[in-house]
Order: sequence, then structure tokens, then C-alpha cells
Amino acid sequence: MTLKSDDATAIPRRPTGLDRRGFLARAGLAGAALGAGGAMTPGTVQAQETKPAEASKPGGTAEPAAFAYEGKDAGLTGLGDRPLVAETPAHLLDDDTTPITKFFIRCNGQVPEPAADRETWSLTIDGEVEAPLVLSLKELKDRFKPVTYRMVLECGGNGRSSFQPPARGNQWTNGGAGCAEWTGIPLNAVLQAAKVKPSARYTAHHGADPHLSGDAKKDSLSRGMPVAKAMDAHNLLVFAMNGEPLPTIHGGPLRLVVPGWPGSLSHKWLTRITLRDREHDGQGMTGHSYRLPERPLVPGSKGDGVPFRILESMPVRAVTTSPANGTRLPAGARDLDLRGAAWGGEVPIARVEVSIDGGQTWTEAALAPLKNRYDWHRWTARLTLPSDGYYEIFARATDVSGRTQPTLATNWNPQGYGGNAQHRIAILVG
Amino acid sequence: MSIRTLLAATMLLLGAAAIPTQHAAAREESAEAFPAGPGRDETFGTCSACHAYRLVAAQGLSRDRWDETMTLMTEKHGMPKLEGDERRVILDYLATAHPPKRAVGTGGFQVPFAPQ
Repeated sequence: MTLKSDDATAIPRRPTGLDRRGFLARAGLAGAALGAGGAMTPGTVQAQETKPAEASKPGGTAEPAAFAYEGKDAGLTGLGDRPLVAETPAHLLDDDTTPITKFFIRCNGQVPEPAADRETWSLTIDGEVEAPLVLSLKELKDRFKPVTYRMVLECGGNGRSSFQPPARGNQWTNGGAGCAEWTGIPLNAVLQAAKVKPSARYTAHHGADPHLSGDAKKDSLSRGMPVAKAMDAHNLLVFAMNGEPLPTIHGGPLRLVVPGWPGSLSHKWLTRITLRDREHDGQGMTGHSYRLPERPLVPGSKGDGVPFRILESMPVRAVTTSPANGTRLPAGARDLDLRGAAWGGEVPIARVEVSIDGGQTWTEAALAPLKNRYDWHRWTARLTLPSDGYYEIFARATDVSGRTQPTLATNWNPQGYGGNAQHRIAILVG
Repeated sequence: MSIRTLLAATMLLLGAAAIPTQHAAAREESAEAFPAGPGRDETFGTCSACHAYRLVAAQGLSRDRWDETMTLMTEKHGMPKLEGDERRVILDYLATAHPPKRAVGTGGFQVPFAPQ
């Protein structure tokens, strides 16, 4: 890290005296203790996919401490507090619609102060347009018709922790994803009103979150997409999540949701979309960020001299959301009911299968229908266990183009994108 | 690594030492090359009396499994039986310096029912 600013600058509202996550972890403080100090702040620890209380913890590892952030489930897994990043363990993705309390958090910079007045939040559309727009949120709602879709939002690095050797970045398991009801104005309607010029090729997104360093000249993140993708009818300028005003931690008052592609395009605290006549080159667009190599790399290598292309559609993925990893069933239990979710970026899911023998045999799951495009499929399966004992359950999804999840993360790349190894949990019967 | 694998590896090493035509010479080892801590010299001395300490350092075991391993070494491989403080000092060092290793590259998966 090259950060020089002090903690108070980096994370506003941090109670004094609790200035190190290590202190929180060592002291074993949970939300209640922090709550006594007034404003809540993240108290995160290193912990991977958690397990219920009855599971014994692997030797030599620290007991995962509760995640402490106002309005968030204590069972989330903190991956970092500067910037604030937390993922949802698979067993907390068991709701058909992911509640706000359980939805993953991905920030790139500081979390801005909550807006005093949501309705006056201002959005600018400019650049390669005939009629630049500056609209308050109220004007946006008055002028355009809102729609609601249930759609997956997924971090571009989801699944990164499956790479070996480890790839650089937040070590997401499969929990950098959730599926919420997003209410907003279709982006294409607003772009049409701004009259996009034929010269426009790419969008450039800008938000109000200050850079971690506090340098006002730096963007925490500024990604963009080709105009053709920007015109996808499911891209929304979102102001409500699961029927509630969009929470600050999820980018409120206003954010983009660009489903199917890396979550970094779904810009939080959105203030400006500039149409550009070339591929955008903002923070997160260059180097190896959100890019995959065009020819396979030796794992662990730098990728020097190899061309990289921008990651677009996210890969296919299934998770088992019930039972939780580490569940213990009574002796004699033979019927095993599994539940989960599956999604696949822009490519629809064809099937989900589960295995209790490491993939020697597979059983097809039943898929619930989608509410709309970019929704996830909830799935269920019943397996018959042959005996008491220890079982690992693997789940894999296959998309309509025939691509299925590999057993291990493939196509290693320095920043670990595209990792979609089969989800694995373990249960013990008896 | 299972006890069986550990045993096989130990036998290999012991076997290799007994075959005069084997080219690989035993590497010089010193206790200082391994993690510092109370009991390091005692542990190094006890284990390397028969086999390379490198074999010990390649393991990652819980205190209970180190205890079992010491018993195995006594019962099957002629290590003098250690008891009381002597055993405790070595076990403390082994459990601290060579604890179980977390799996990496598994998407966060760790076997959840591993014995303590």
C-alpha cells in the first residue's frame, strides 16, 4: 500500500479508540460492543467461507469474528476494511432475493457521507451527445418511467480464491455476488434523451466516492462499456434496492446496475456518465485490471508481452446455499435436500448438477424459472446418501453454449478473473 | 500427509541411508534453519538423531497428531520414550512451529470436521 493518509481520513465515522481491525479480532468484539460507541464501523477479520457452530474449526486457524457494520449481517466475511469489502458466505445466499443485510459490499475508495437530500442528487450525461443532461434524482424519476428487475450483481473477481498460485486481489470465494430487486430508470432511455452521437464508442463512469488517499484529483474507480452494451434494456440507474431507498453502502442515492458484466461497471454514488469516442482509459480500465490474457499464461507469471482483453460477460456459476458447509446430520439420515442458486453472466443457464462422489456421477437439479433476464435460477435437488459418513457436495452449472464449471480455476491470470471452479461443501452424517 | 505416508517417507529416508550405493549425500542441517522458539534445540536433537529434520518441517500437524506421531516413532522406530516435561517441550515446539497448513486455491474450502 502506498497510502499515507491517516485512518480518520480514510474511513469517516470511525469511533476513536478502535483503530485497528486486529484489535477487534483479538478482543473478539462484535457488533454490540461497537454499537455502544454510536456510529458503526467495519470490524473485519480474515475468514473464509464460514461454517455453523457445530463444525469444528480447522486446526491452527483463528475463530472467525463477527462482521460488524450497521445494517449488515454478522455472518458476512470481511475481506478488507480499507477499502471496505465483505462477501456473503454461500449459506447466506439462501434467500430467493438477497436481503440488503446479506448483500456483499465492494468499495474501491472511501464510503461517502450519506446524502442529506437524495432527491437533489445530480447526474450528468455528457461527452459525445447532442443534448447533454444534468438531472436531479427527482427530475430523473419525473421524466422517465422506473422499472424493477431482480438481477445478479457480481464482482468481477468473484471466485478468485480458487486460483493456485493465489492471484492478486480480494480473495473472494463465491460470495462476491447477490441477487436483488433493483428499481431504477433504464439507462438506454436517458442516453436516447441525450441523443448519443454516432461518434460515441464507450461510456466512462464517475462517482462521488473519494479516493483512499484523499487525493481529490484521483478517481477511486472509473470504468466504462461499449455503447452497444450500454444500450442493453436491463441497465438501470438504480435508486431503490428491494423496495427501499438505495443504501449508502450500496451506492445510494444513485448507482448504475449493469447486469452480467463485472460489478465494477455498476458504478456506485454515480455522478456522471461521459460518452467517449474511444475505449475508456479510467481507473480500472488498463493494465491487467478486469482483463484476461489472450493466450494461456504459466500460473504465477507476470503476463508481460501477452495481449489482454477486457473481461465482459461473467462466467457460469452455481452455489449450494443449503445445507451450509459443515452441517452435521443425525445418524441414519439418507435423504439429502439441496438448495442453491446459479447464474451465468450474459449466457443463460442450461442445467445445474450436483455430485457427492467428487464428480464421478452427477444428479441434475430442478431449476426455478427466472423473473426476468439476468435473474438467478434458484435450484433444488434431492440425493440419497448410501450410508452415514463424510460427504463433499460439488455443484456445477452449465450454460446454453455448453460451457460448464471446471473442477479447478483455469486460465490463470495475474489479477484472478474468471475463476469459476465448482462450489464444494462438506457435511457429516452421524 | 497421513501417518501412513509419513511412515513411508520415514522408511524411505532410513532405507536410503542404509544403501551404500545411494548417491544422494545427507544434507547438513542445523537447528537454526528452522522456526525459532522454545524447545527447538531439544526437538531438533531428538528427531534428527535418526532422520533429517527436513522431514519433520515438511509436516503440518495438530498437537494431538504430533503426540500420536511421537508415540509411533517410539513404538515402531525405536525412538526413546519421552514423558513429562521432556515430551511437553517437544510437543509444544512441534505444534507451534509446524501446525496444520491451510489449503489454498480451494475457493475457501477447508475440511470442516478435521479433528482438533
